[in-house]
Amino acid sequence: MVEKSTKTARGTVQCENTNIHLLKANDFVADIIKKEMAKTGTLLINITSSAGSGKTTLMQKTAEKLKDKINIAVMVGDLETERDAERIRETGIQALQIVTGGICHLEAQMVHQVLDQFDLENIDLLFIENVGNLVCPSSFDLGEDYRVTLMATTEGDDKPKKYPKMFLTSDMMLVSKADLLPYVPFSVEAVTKDAREVNHEIEVLQISSITDEGIDQWCDWLLKKVKQKKG
Amino acid sequence: MHETSIVNSIMRTLEQEFEREKLNKMKAIHLKVGILSNIEPRLLHNAYSAYHLTHPGYHHVELHIESTPLKIQCEVCNHITDVQNYRFICENCDRPSKNVIQGEEMLIHKVEFED
Repeated sequence: MVEKSTKTARGTVQCENTNIHLLKANDFVADIIKKEMAKTGTLLINITSSAGSGKTTLMQKTAEKLKDKINIAVMVGDLETERDAERIRETGIQALQIVTGGICHLEAQMVHQVLDQFDLENIDLLFIENVGNLVCPSSFDLGEDYRVTLMATTEGDDKPKKYPKMFLTSDMMLVSKADLLPYVPFSVEAVTKDAREVNHEIEVLQISSITDEGIDQWCDWLLKKVKQKKG
Repeated sequence: MHETSIVNSIMRTLEQEFEREKLNKMKAIHLKVGILSNIEPRLLHNAYSAYHLTHPGYHHVELHIESTPLKIQCEVCNHITDVQNYRFICENCDRPSKNVIQGEEMLIHKVEFED
């Protein structure tokens, strides 16, 4: 049991109404990142999802499809190992691993720290592959232009309502592993309905990095956004 | 893990905002966190206790956390709806809305100092 304080109240208490955002320190750095990206016209996309939904495979696929058209680079966050960056490098694009050492999300500070490793002048599209987690990364703005969340058909179609903040703050939901739809009890209609109840503006696209379903549309969307960013 | 980051961010922010002299007189921190902020008050309290192990200077500073429910205001009819089951739909006119007016906040709402 917690002991009751015997301390008597003394003096007056002065209050200051601050209303400062809890993550002010993070958002301050996110703004710096935004400005850096604006200078070079680099499109920054934050890719989020649960662990194992196919983020890295999608990065590989996207690199294969677009590397002759635009310059792409990826920074990828994980708690340990450099495995994802190695996989992405095999496709011939730059990839940098951020090892968070146990932290469950990327923060703007971590992204900013590694930005000078990239030659942004010559990068049209920079992906941040976030730590696989539908909860914590949703609160941390990384200065991205768009947030894209993958939702694999193997995860179950009830996720948008379970993790509403992530879907509320995402611009696009990619229903990944669509090639498995015949074998799993997953309804694209149900997941779309739930996601749109949380965020009626969210774009939804069904993709498969194995059969290439939806990949051309995804790449077209990216090219369009890259062009807009270049102005 | 994410609660630890938040506590660090709060304390870093306060240290930027106020002079050391004033921080020494700090008595309580009041937070306002929305249901959508993914912050669990109990875990944040634990993280705050853990913070004191490495920053004993703040051990007497109380932490108060107020949770706020989720509300949206319809852009069309201006009606305010209490969001239930994460259905972001106006209860008056049935239109979807993303105009969250309460429930997303993560604020250091008030700081108390010993006079």
